Amino acid sequence: MNDRLKAILEVLIFISQEPLTLDKMKEVLGEVPEDELEAALNSLVSDYATGERGIQVVRSGGGYLFTTRPEHDQWVRRLLQIEKKTRLSSAALETLSIIAYHQPITQAEISAIRGVDSAYCLKTLLQKKLIKIVGRKKAPGNPLVYRTSERFLQYFGLNSLDDLPKEEEIAKILEEEKQAIS
Amino acid sequence: MEQEIQDSQESQPLVPGSIPSGNGYQVRLEIFEGPLDLLLFLIRKKKIDIHDIPIAVITRDYLEYLERKDQINLDREAEFLLIAALLIYIKSQMLLPREQEAIQADDPRQLLVDRLLEYQKVKVACTLLREKEEDQLLRWKRTFLPPVTKPEEAELLEVSLFDLAQTFFLLMKKRERENLKVIKGKDVSVDEKIKEMLGYLEVHGSMDFLEYFSGQETLEEALVSFFCLLELVKNHLVIAVQEQLFQTIRVWLRKSRAHSHGQSHE
Repeated sequence: MNDRLKAILEVLIFISQEPLTLDKMKEVLGEVPEDELEAALNSLVSDYATGERGIQVVRSGGGYLFTTRPEHDQWVRRLLQIEKKTRLSSAALETLSIIAYHQPITQAEISAIRGVDSAYCLKTLLQKKLIKIVGRKKAPGNPLVYRTSERFLQYFGLNSLDDLPKEEEIAKILEEEKQAIS
Repeated sequence: MEQEIQDSQESQPLVPGSIPSGNGYQVRLEIFEGPLDLLLFLIRKKKIDIHDIPIAVITRDYLEYLERKDQINLDREAEFLLIAALLIYIKSQMLLPREQEAIQADDPRQLLVDRLLEYQKVKVACTLLREKEEDQLLRWKRTFLPPVTKPEEAELLEVSLFDLAQTFFLLMKKRERENLKVIKGKDVSVDEKIKEMLGYLEVHGSMDFLEYFSGQETLEEALVSFFCLLELVKNHLVIAVQEQLFQTIRVWLRKSRAHSHGQSHE
C-alpha cells in the first residue's frame, strides 16, 4: 500500500470544494498506475468508514468528497444556526425526476407527462443549478432541451445517472402497491 | 400523504352535490399535483385495474371532484378540465358501435392508460428520490455550506481607470435622464472641488461617490467632482473602491496622504 499516495489523495479531496474526479487526480498526480490509485482510494474510503470518525469519504457526483455522518446533523445545524434545511417542493421534485429519467427533454414534453404546466418549476430548478440547458431541439419552435447537472447527482448522493433507481425497482414497488390495494 | 386524503374523505363523505365548507377544496388542490395525480388517486380508491378503467365511473367521480370546488385557480383549472374533456371524449368513443377487431386493436383508452402508467412511474421515482434527498440533507458537504461567520467588510480592491470611466458614463446617463433645467451657471474649479471633497472625507471618513455625485447641484459640478476623484486617485490621496461594475464607488483617504498631499499642492 502506498501510504504517501493515500495521504496526498486525502489532501486533494479535502481541499476540493466540488467532488474530485479521477481525471482531476490523475492530472494533478501525473504518472500514477491506475491500480495503485484505486487501491489508495479504496483504502482511504475504508479508513474513514471503519474508524470512529465524524466525517467520511464518499463517491458522489462523479468524484470523491468529504461529507459528515448523518447522525451528527444537529451539531452542524447548531453551528450554522440553521433550523431546518429546505427540501424541494413536490412539483419541483416531480419535474426533476421526469428530467432525470427522460433526458434530454423539452419543457413541452415534461408538461405533457405531468399534465400541468412546468415552466415555473423549470425556472426554480435552473436557479438551484440542479438542471442545465444543453441546447435546442430541432423541432418546430426550436425548444430548449434540459438535462440534469452534476449538482443534481451530488444533491441526491448519486455517483452517476446509472445510480438512479432502476426501472425494475420502480416496477417492483408498483407491483407491491397493487398487491396491497387489492 | 395518501392517508391524509383518505381521512379527509371520511370526514366529508362524497355525496353528489355536497359542497365542502371553508377551504376544503383548496387543501385538496395542493395535495394533487395535477389532474393525472387526481385520476390515479380515484383509480386506486376504487381499486380499479388501470388497464381496464371503467371510463363512465371514473369520469363521474372526476367531475364530481371538480364540482366540489368553491374557489377557482384558473391556471390549474384549465389543466384539470383538459383531462375532463379527454375522459368525456374517450367515453363518447366507447359508446360508438365498432367492429370487434377494431375494439381489440384500438382501445380509445389506451392513450390515457399509457399516460397514467408513465405518471405512476414518475410518482414512485419521486418517492425514491425524496428518500435520497432526506438522507443527503443529513450529510453535510463543503459545497453546500453557507459561510459560518457573518460576511466581513468587503476586501478592498483598487479600481482601474477604465472602471472609473465606465461608472462616470453611467452616472452621466443617469443625470441626463433626469432632464434637469440648468438656470444659473456657476463656475466650479477643480481645486475648490478637491478641497471640498477632501474636507468631506476628513469629516465623514469615507464617501459613497454615487450619492455624492447625484447630490451635486448642477451637471457641471457633478462632472467636476468626477474629474476631482480621478485627480485624487492619480495623486494617491484617496483609495477608490468599486466592488462591482455599475455599483457605487467608495472613497477613502489614504493614510499616507499628508506627505503626498503637500507635494501635489506645492
